[in-house]
Amino acid sequence: MRYPEIVALVTENHRAMTDSNDQNAQEAELARLIVKTLNLDLPAVKIDPQAPLYGEGLGLDSIDMLEIALAVSQQFGVKLRADDKDNVHIFSSLRSLNAYIQRNRAS
Amino acid sequence: MTENSHVQEWAVRAERGSLPLIKLGTRIALWLGRPRARLFLYLVCLYFLASSPAAVRSSRQYLARVLGRRPRLNDVFGHYLTFASCLLDRVFLLNEQSEQFDIRIHGEEIVREIEQRGNGCMLFGAHFGSFEVTRAVGRCRSNLPISLLMYEENARKVRAALAAINPRLETEVIGLRRLDSLITVAERLSHGHFVGLLADRNVDGKDLVRYPFLGASAAFPQGPFRVAMLLQRPVVMMIGLYRGGRTYEVFFETLAEPVESRAEDNEGWIDGTMRRYVSRLEHYCRAAPLNWFNFYDFWA
Repeated sequence: MRYPEIVALVTENHRAMTDSNDQNAQEAELARLIVKTLNLDLPAVKIDPQAPLYGEGLGLDSIDMLEIALAVSQQFGVKLRADDKDNVHIFSSLRSLNAYIQRNRAS
Repeated sequence: MTENSHVQEWAVRAERGSLPLIKLGTRIALWLGRPRARLFLYLVCLYFLASSPAAVRSSRQYLARVLGRRPRLNDVFGHYLTFASCLLDRVFLLNEQSEQFDIRIHGEEIVREIEQRGNGCMLFGAHFGSFEVTRAVGRCRSNLPISLLMYEENARKVRAALAAINPRLETEVIGLRRLDSLITVAERLSHGHFVGLLADRNVDGKDLVRYPFLGASAAFPQGPFRVAMLLQRPVVMMIGLYRGGRTYEVFFETLAEPVESRAEDNEGWIDGTMRRYVSRLEHYCRAAPLNWFNFYDFWA
């Protein structure tokens, strides 16, 4: 395989991973935590990892966001901060919230 | 704008209306001084009494419930005058002229104790009497850190209006409706802030629960109480009654101690705290009926 082909393959693989509508294992765990915390009336596997959590999408409000933040801090020891400019992005989907947790969990 | 919201609109105007007008009004009031400025209130009240039939109707409806008799025109006028007085006094209270007033404080030890614990608390007020007078108490007390929680649309305007009334005054106003606004509340509390909000009115009609209130059921928002439960903070009720003349009476009372853990089922705690809030609000309505400032059909 020549270099451009490898790049194309890797890029496509990466896109498949990040664009996928399926939850990975960590996202599934987080989805279960959210459903349990908020007593949502839907199976955790049904949460689209790319759909917005706040407002349209799952239709959660700021009290739900607080509950999620408290649960995440309890379960993963990751604190969500109020002054974080990226909050809109972090809460934009299950995937981005999970990515934030994984990034901050290790450190 | 519906006919019904005329005086609400008036209240809103007076609270957050055009800034140049607020600045001008503030300057005139400060220049005239409180006794002379008060004379104008009678004219203002007569004008609104004549021009806002819907609000007069809701004032009558409330007064009939709380007084247990048909309200007379001078009851309604007194209701308007109390509201206007509180708005005018806000100018003086926010400009560090609280020495003009006779302010009697009840339950101050509750505030002191929470201040010493350093964990903050939720301060629940209502559209009832003067909120500013309780803030004046806060400032006398070695700069008690108070943050106010309100809807974002209002938050910006209130911030600007408070600055127009007194530019040197700094108030922390947290806008609601942002996704992380309650995470902000959690952080302020952990710094020992008193987070104040008015818990009697809900704008978006979400999570309303009906409780008996002055003889009929009325809807109250559950959100503030759920937040207090989740953040495991004490709930303190805070009411500033206007008693006529230059007298205000401020009450602090503990409505609920914090829940011990979030793990168990806490709906009972929320219900119990809401019941106490509603029944204490009813108590204050009976104690000082004209301080009620929800000029719309509250029982709808």
